[in-house]
Amino acid sequence: MPELGKLALAIALILAVYSIVANIYGVRRDAPDFVVSARHALWSMCAMVTIAVGALWTGLLRSDFSLEYVAAYSSTTLPTIYKITSLWGGQQGSLLFWTWLLSIFTSIAAFQNRRRNPEIAPYALAVMAAVAIFFLGMLNFVTRPFDLLATIPAEGSDLNPLLQNYWMAIHPPSLYTGYVSATVPFAFGAAALITGKLDDAWIRTTRRWAIFSWFFLTLGNMFGARWAYEVLGWGGYWAWDPVENAAFMPWLVMTAYLHSVMIQERKDMLKIWNLSLIGLAFGLTLFGTFITRSGVISSVHSFTQSGLGPYFLTFLIIVTLAYSALLIFRSNQLRSPADFESYLSREAAFLFNNLFLVGIAFAVFWGTIFPVLSEAVRGVKITVGPPFFNRVNGPLALGLVFLMGVGPLIAWRRTTADNLLRSFAAPVILGVSTGVVAAALGLREWYVLTALSLAAFAMGTIIVEFRRGMNARRHLVSEPRVRALVNLVAKNNRRYGGYVIHVGVVVAFVGIIGSSFFRTDVKKSVHPGQSFTIGSFTLRFLGLSQIETPHLESATARVEVLRADGREVTVMEPAKLFYKRAQQPATKVAIRSTPIADLYLVLAGIDDTGETATFEVFLTPLVFWLWAGGLLMVLGTVIVMWPNVRERAAIAAALSASRAGAPAGETAPGGE
Amino acid sequence: MRRRILVRLLILVVAALFVFLSPELKNVSRETFAAETPTNAQVSQSLTCQCGCGLTVANCNMPTCGFSVPVRAEIDQMIGKGMSRARIIAFYRHKYGEKVLSAPTAEGFNLLAWTMPFIALFVGGGLIVLAFGRWRSASPSLPSGANPEGAADSFDPELKRRLKRELEERM
Repeated sequence: MPELGKLALAIALILAVYSIVANIYGVRRDAPDFVVSARHALWSMCAMVTIAVGALWTGLLRSDFSLEYVAAYSSTTLPTIYKITSLWGGQQGSLLFWTWLLSIFTSIAAFQNRRRNPEIAPYALAVMAAVAIFFLGMLNFVTRPFDLLATIPAEGSDLNPLLQNYWMAIHPPSLYTGYVSATVPFAFGAAALITGKLDDAWIRTTRRWAIFSWFFLTLGNMFGARWAYEVLGWGGYWAWDPVENAAFMPWLVMTAYLHSVMIQERKDMLKIWNLSLIGLAFGLTLFGTFITRSGVISSVHSFTQSGLGPYFLTFLIIVTLAYSALLIFRSNQLRSPADFESYLSREAAFLFNNLFLVGIAFAVFWGTIFPVLSEAVRGVKITVGPPFFNRVNGPLALGLVFLMGVGPLIAWRRTTADNLLRSFAAPVILGVSTGVVAAALGLREWYVLTALSLAAFAMGTIIVEFRRGMNARRHLVSEPRVRALVNLVAKNNRRYGGYVIHVGVVVAFVGIIGSSFFRTDVKKSVHPGQSFTIGSFTLRFLGLSQIETPHLESATARVEVLRADGREVTVMEPAKLFYKRAQQPATKVAIRSTPIADLYLVLAGIDDTGETATFEVFLTPLVFWLWAGGLLMVLGTVIVMWPNVRERAAIAAALSASRAGAPAGETAPGGE
Repeated sequence: MRRRILVRLLILVVAALFVFLSPELKNVSRETFAAETPTNAQVSQSLTCQCGCGLTVANCNMPTCGFSVPVRAEIDQMIGKGMSRARIIAFYRHKYGEKVLSAPTAEGFNLLAWTMPFIALFVGGGLIVLAFGRWRSASPSLPSGANPEGAADSFDPELKRRLKRELEERM
């Protein structure tokens, strides 16, 4: 199997190189056979990488410790599900997994474009193949997943215990899918620059890819936050760790891109900006990988650190320089027609939304690299942690939520004062009332009051927008309310799906505010039978039970949770785990989640006699809504991505217009 | 004229952000923290765990961490002795250097860390305003006083037919 994996990776590399040569030769010499051959080469490359992945999975499932990777990241007692997830638990495996996803997405893009975009698709596929060559080069020559050990150990070192969690089974694949799928719109953008076909055909062709990437980046960030919440045991979900930041930045930039392309689709403006954003989003995915693997910045995500940093940095620099050179080279052709009337317009709101999104991305980037900068300039190591990021991003987030409220109700081109008053009166009243009620309830932090008011304002504008649409339908086609709502969303899925995503963001924002500002915690050491309180809950320690399996030892505490009136609410069972192979302790928290607050119980320690247990308890208000907001964002994205006949017709029209050389906007309705 | 007003408005917004930021900067630079007894969480959030986890001392929850566990206990003792948050933090800064602080101080080179994001935002906002100005002067706009919502009245019949058709499709 290892030999098969090695061979498959070597062939995949050769095929990737061949596909670039054949694609470029085919399109430049007008030799379609070569383009077809290049496509087949890419599919074969995907098959080869799949074989390599299969070979490594086989090694992991069979506990073949002759493979260095399997010996380092697995063990005979590791549960099967984690043997499978070990594929992305270590350096080489995660790079192989990345390459596999890239080869799959490249194959799909090749299939989708087998009969369309004949001018730019071969270049786009060549760009994707070039990215694949970098990763395949690493796997073949630098960090090889099929290296063998001279002496075969009887047992493996096991997977890092922190990664033995079901969120870890889905968090890295989601994030990697988000990262890797950003390659497709980037490659088409680069191809548009190479060929000079700079209308919006590349945007329409890759719009779903961009949303797909954004969707998985959202999922990846959410799953990562949930993993931190359940596994790290500190009661929080986001620590502004460099690797978390590295996943957050492409999400921000991709969000900005998804908004600003609407201006290009509608008004043929912002071509340079959109191409820059997609280049930046792709660059940030590489930067994220560089951060994770280089070790230049210390991070809680040190699972895959290695000496690969210089390779990634070099690749990142090459990509940045090449893409920037293309942008500069084509800058004259990228000049857009000026079509702007008023600051009180949706395009202005979108641009300021871009400013805040990219501004937050910059603030995160700046904070992430500042320790390196400080060490280089002053020779002093410093840390840039949560207080910095919270303080700097706090006001920017408020601006963003405000603009999210303004965007839906403001018209394209220009909005009159009357229209503004009519549209925003109700949301403004809702926002102000929320602030007043919150203040009356005793909240005093001005940030919280402003944040809640703005969240209510943004929610108000979305409700007004839905209500308007529903009323219009009821008026024009005499539908009952519910059917009008369903049809409204179904027939304008891109627009209203987007609003559902906005609702999700607002809901998650409220969850973040509640959980960040009002968390309380208690730490207590108690004997069995003793109680302590947090908030309105009384917690009574019932006792400990020990379990030992070949894989781990665990001590589980039973804690009865009572209301003030003595009524039992639930029994919670936090545990301390000790993984035998890795010789590492870990914590299993117990969480009782409600829309009001989460009760989060950590078994922090057990004394030597085994009688006294120390508990750390967090009562975190509204954190439930962070996850609910995430689900709404998922729902919204599904609505946006739902197949839409009208949109398909628009894409076809845009592509035919592109072939005919006419501006696509003239023939294709822009949608929302 | 309106452009000038908008530029001023933008300057005001940025200034407001700095005002918002200033209490924290003041805290960080002069370490004039509140005089009342601090909690362990307040102090340990300001310190970074040195075990390599990258989290704050408050957040590192490694059960056997050789740094955060003893430091949290020490902080409890220092609070018990009546030490202020500033003094406790100064103690650790003296002992481990600047890297133990969870945020950069707002002095000297580190000021760049705090100000650069807002400078970038300001510059970005300025560029947008400039671009808007250029686009607007080059853009064919509706005659003054025209109501874009009433503009449909001046549509030619073909446009009206197209609008009706698209409305029917959407509905």
